[in-house]
Amino acid sequence: MLWYAFVGCLVGTLVGMLPGIGPLAGISILLPLTYGLDATKAIVMLAGIYYGSQYGGSTTSILLRIPGEAASVMTCIDGNAMAKKGRAGAALCIAAVGSFVAGTLGVLLLTVVAPPLAQFALGFGPPEYTALLVLGLIFLAYMSTSSLVRTLLMAAFGLLLGTIGIDVMSGHFRYSFNIAELGDGIGIVPVAVGLFGLGEILSTPSLQVTSEVTRPKLRELWPNRTEWRESGWPIARGSLLGFVIGIIPGSAHIISSFMSYALEKKVSRHPEQFGKGAVAGVAGPESANNAASTGAFVPMLALGIPTGPVTAVLMAALLIHGVPPGPTLVNDHPEVFWGFVASMYVGNLMLLALNLPLVGVFVNLLRIPYAYLYPMIIMFCVIGVYEVNNSIVDVWIMLIMGIVGYGLKKLSFDPAPLVLGLVIAPLLEMSLRQSLIMSDGAWLIFLQRPVALVLILVSLVLLALSAVGYFARRKGWRARLVEVDGET
Amino acid sequence: MFAISGELPFGTLAAPGAGMMPKLAAALMMLFAAALIVAPSAVRAVGLDWKDRNHAALVVVITALAVASYRPLGFLLAMSLLVFALLVIVERRNVLVAAAYSVALTVFAYWLFGKALKSPLERGVLWF
Repeated sequence: MLWYAFVGCLVGTLVGMLPGIGPLAGISILLPLTYGLDATKAIVMLAGIYYGSQYGGSTTSILLRIPGEAASVMTCIDGNAMAKKGRAGAALCIAAVGSFVAGTLGVLLLTVVAPPLAQFALGFGPPEYTALLVLGLIFLAYMSTSSLVRTLLMAAFGLLLGTIGIDVMSGHFRYSFNIAELGDGIGIVPVAVGLFGLGEILSTPSLQVTSEVTRPKLRELWPNRTEWRESGWPIARGSLLGFVIGIIPGSAHIISSFMSYALEKKVSRHPEQFGKGAVAGVAGPESANNAASTGAFVPMLALGIPTGPVTAVLMAALLIHGVPPGPTLVNDHPEVFWGFVASMYVGNLMLLALNLPLVGVFVNLLRIPYAYLYPMIIMFCVIGVYEVNNSIVDVWIMLIMGIVGYGLKKLSFDPAPLVLGLVIAPLLEMSLRQSLIMSDGAWLIFLQRPVALVLILVSLVLLALSAVGYFARRKGWRARLVEVDGET
Repeated sequence: MFAISGELPFGTLAAPGAGMMPKLAAALMMLFAAALIVAPSAVRAVGLDWKDRNHAALVVVITALAVASYRPLGFLLAMSLLVFALLVIVERRNVLVAAAYSVALTVFAYWLFGKALKSPLERGVLWF
């Protein structure tokens, strides 16, 4: 078990460091290789990749100013600024220690929160699941940095893609165009690898990647007393904030790092230092994204609800190994749940031990020019996607989704809601149709069940808040336009 | 989607059919797309940058050719040609360096996935 946790952590760290390939692509590529393992070992290794990638992403962000993965974007700003001031080692150390503290705290909270949440969720029926999934989509849209309408459009697109394949209730073939492989629907792995991996490569010509590798000296590795003092409270705040946000469906680890940066800048006595090497600008976001990675496992394990594309693929891994995630997981497969939790405690220690001494090695790997790096990434994407079903159709889907991902990036659409929509489409459709059958076609069933009613009311409140914010921004935009017209 | 969903039964509220969810999703997409067209957008005001379209197009074409030839030629030949073509045509690297790198990388991947991890890889025209 420890060996698989170590392999997962090591691979996750390397994956997190490579720009253009994130934890999702790493997990997707390695998923078929776990077919020969039992469920516990498989999920331990794959989860190690997930939270290991959070560690790895910070290395390239700090040293190269290239976010290894999306959640490390905020670390780029102040982390690289610290590196340019000769404090690269301190930045790496703070990021590693902050991630360790946040990850450990997240595991403790997971241990406490997940079992009672599972018990509560046993009372959920189809109406509650429908309301919960709708809330998840709307909350993702509300928290997204992209506009509400854009996010919901992407989510609807994902729901539409999720309907491709055989309808499990009636047996109808839907939109398969006489391609037998499409009878099983469009897989998450080809879509995710295409959108996030290939799409990023298509929009990043090698000439745009100008990286200067900063090699830290050994004596600069440790932060001084002032830096430790400045990182304490940001680590604590980032850990709690990240875990809470991580429970909510959506790109929690990305959103949590943005929110943590904003929070630290807000509460800091010296906000002018942010962007110029503020320690809190590294400690907070790195802790938040690691804690969010752990928090994301709570709904996945306790409710069987994926909080994002990565947890969706982890869920797929559990299903492949015959372990359905959800409220019954803790009781029916305690060895999987507690083995997974135990591996996370150990995994956090392994990651700390990996990241600090191996910084020099990792930096050398990153010296591979991007022009040689991305062909390798494309090759691994093709291998990984093909391995899932030994189907060339999946690879074509990956390529098509890569083009879609490129277009979405150009048009400033966030692809994450699309993947989330794709993942929850079967769940949402099944629970919606079951609810309507139960109620003999009466939509009021969603209002007559207390939990479903509360979830729907929360969704409406979030929609109302978004609408208020939208009209307030429009009013401000028009007022500024009137001022400019008046001046001219 | 509505046009090609003709044969799928929508069903009734009491017995939803296979066509209900796709049509709901398509309708939502149209609704949100209409809202985007009507509402002012900061992206439209800033303008789009398509300077990398040539790079993207070349990568897509080369990758598509590699995928099309993956089964007929096999893993080793198709992936070697993929990496070589990307380095020479897209990145304009030295031909010999590109050839050496593509062969070495593909052999390493073959060893890692085919031998170490026992993943089935397409043989194609080769006997191994």
